[in-house]
Amino acid sequence: MEIKLEKFSKSFGSVKVIEELDLTVGNGEMIALLGPSGCGKTTTLYAICGIHRVSAGRILFGDRDVTALPPQEKNVGVVFQSFALYPHLSIYENIAFPLRIRKEKNADIERKVREISATLYMEHLLERRPGQLSGGQQQRVALARALVRRPDILLMDEPLANLDASLRLEMRTEIRRIQQESGCTSILVTHDQVEAMSMCDRIALMNNGVIQQIGTPDDMYHQPRNKFIAGFIGNPPISFIDGAVENGQFTSQGMSFGLPDNLKKASLTSGQKVSVGIRPEHLQPGSENPVAGEVTFIESQGREILYDLKLGDGQMLRSIQSGARTCKLGDRVTWSINVNAVLFFDAQDERILPA
Amino acid sequence: MRRLRSFLPLWFMLPASVIVTLFFVIPVFMTFAFSFTTMSSDTGVLGNRYIVSEATLLKLKELNIDPVLVASLGEIRFVFDDTNLKNISQLNLKPSLLKEINTKLKNKVFATEKKLYAALKTLKNRPRSFKDRKAISKATVSSMMNKEFLTADEFSQGLVSVGINLDAPAFNQLLELTNTSWHWTTDNYAELMASDFTLKILGNTLFYVFCTLFFNVGFALLLALATFYMPSGQSKIFRALWLIPRISPSVIYVLLWKWFTFDSGFMSHFLSSFGFTPQDWLKEFPWVFVILANGFVGASMGMLIFSSAIVAIPGDVLRAAEVDGAYPLQQIRRIILPLLAWPILFVTSYQTLSLLTSFEYILLLTDGGPGFFTTETWALNAYHTALSNYFGNLRYGFGATLAVVLVVVGIILSLLYLRLFDFKKLVTEPQIET
Repeated sequence: MEIKLEKFSKSFGSVKVIEELDLTVGNGEMIALLGPSGCGKTTTLYAICGIHRVSAGRILFGDRDVTALPPQEKNVGVVFQSFALYPHLSIYENIAFPLRIRKEKNADIERKVREISATLYMEHLLERRPGQLSGGQQQRVALARALVRRPDILLMDEPLANLDASLRLEMRTEIRRIQQESGCTSILVTHDQVEAMSMCDRIALMNNGVIQQIGTPDDMYHQPRNKFIAGFIGNPPISFIDGAVENGQFTSQGMSFGLPDNLKKASLTSGQKVSVGIRPEHLQPGSENPVAGEVTFIESQGREILYDLKLGDGQMLRSIQSGARTCKLGDRVTWSINVNAVLFFDAQDERILPA
Repeated sequence: MRRLRSFLPLWFMLPASVIVTLFFVIPVFMTFAFSFTTMSSDTGVLGNRYIVSEATLLKLKELNIDPVLVASLGEIRFVFDDTNLKNISQLNLKPSLLKEINTKLKNKVFATEKKLYAALKTLKNRPRSFKDRKAISKATVSSMMNKEFLTADEFSQGLVSVGINLDAPAFNQLLELTNTSWHWTTDNYAELMASDFTLKILGNTLFYVFCTLFFNVGFALLLALATFYMPSGQSKIFRALWLIPRISPSVIYVLLWKWFTFDSGFMSHFLSSFGFTPQDWLKEFPWVFVILANGFVGASMGMLIFSSAIVAIPGDVLRAAEVDGAYPLQQIRRIILPLLAWPILFVTSYQTLSLLTSFEYILLLTDGGPGFFTTETWALNAYHTALSNYFGNLRYGFGATLAVVLVVVGIILSLLYLRLFDFKKLVTEPQIET
């Protein structure tokens, strides 16, 4: 079922959290609401499932206007960050809860609970209580409870935040598998870009209550619309260098290089102040478009090594290189920038697109 | 958590220990001990007392003791013994008269005032004025009646002084009959079992406790749940309002109930406009108001505890219930009430015990009436029996027996509650923390 938010706004008292947000999630699609904490992504989620009242705008499930419906009347499954299991009920009863509320027959409930717990490999847990389960097991129960009533929409609020690292990896693929099997339109709220990129079809990146860009993970990474997106997506993060355009060249005190061909035609005036974003993988040993600086930090990540390069004017570049370590701390090196991959931003932090 | 290892904290607790011992521990043991005695205001709490009272005279008559002796015990005499002569010397009499009394009337006993006056007339320096004669009469009047004697010797001296002389067996019999001191007995318990009132008061108590408890806990839950689903500003005001019964003095509070219910009070006034005859509603339906007055006061504590317990339920759990389709009533029945099991147990048991033992509102409102034992509960009856008996003696021993029964019932009830609510399971922590 398609979800459509039209000019959705939400304010708490006089504090406007979200203003005129538009978002469409296609049928069966899984989209991530990604953003730093406090950007309004959980608020949006709560408004979609009806926990929060909508201040203005409309929310549509398919053709049905559900803006004013209370959560009880929407068929939405929600997985909460804290899992929110009912502590006094057994796992079986936890999963059966939405069905019991609908007064379904005991036999049906039994069949559905068995079915969903088989899908989630947790049949052996049904007699226990939430307090006796580990975090990962509780997560499965929360997911089962959200899915057992065959919801129109599945909403997940930071579902992996309370799990340890290895479980997170496991549950990532698990959730994606279940979502694809059920074909349930889903929204995942997360502040973790890796989670968003690995689990979802598309990402809606939010900041300060505004969706900055909606797109596939690849889109976001290679074609960010503004500086915030470029800075948020990518780990280790992109580095920005402030400078200006002069005579077809980007110049700052610490470095300069010729503009790539496709950008020369863009509306860049000489003397315009710009900021360039250079991702760590685009600064590598080489001689083309050289940049010189001092290595101030080295971090081995196993397969790759991360370097910080301090330029003449004090600005920093990051480089990630595979293979053996080529230099040591304090060395002066000259490395090469892949100019065609450099992202240009104007003074308003908007991306300067190639012509 | 590290615990202290020295005895220092015990010293800090000393003042509290003293208070607990003085006001709670010792009284409990003394009550238990008193319940096996015949103590009353007749016997006093201290040791031996020999008193000739109206009751003694009646008992003597029943036992067919010499009627002359019985009569003389009850009569007043005019006695010129050493103490009384001393009293006379204090009077403002002529020295010559005093001297004559001291010599001629010493150790004389007169049965009536008339005989005394006749004897005075025979004196040379006889008192001229009626006032003087009366003063002498007053200074010499003596009686065995209602006098306290601490020992058998004093008692025998007392008898001699009013002119009663007894042989040893008769004296011993009288001594035994007039000894009012208490003694050890299990009769109190036997009396309790046999008394017709026991069942009546027990019934009253059960009715009072269960009705008030039901109203109390139910109303507290209702308030807590209602305020939970209210907008927060309104619920704050409402909760604050419900604390007023806690801080209003019980005497004033009960007075307001009396004003509310009496035959020209608010209720009669209000109902008369619907055609009801004004009447004293408290006298008509005493239980209703006893239960309401107690219930409303008690509800505020339960409300506070339930409110905080509901707020302590993680918000996500209730949100989950909402999106799972549960409307407030279903949330209450399936989520909130089960999660409140422990606070409900606590409030119920706490209130049961305090209702069993507290009686101040009934005392102030109906004092066990109207009529005979209509709203008399066990605790109130213990108080009435031991400390505020309208009908006669204060029966400390029997009152203590009633109190001991109350303590035992309280303990049994607490154990029962813990059993019922599966206390151990409630306090056991989950094996794995999230």
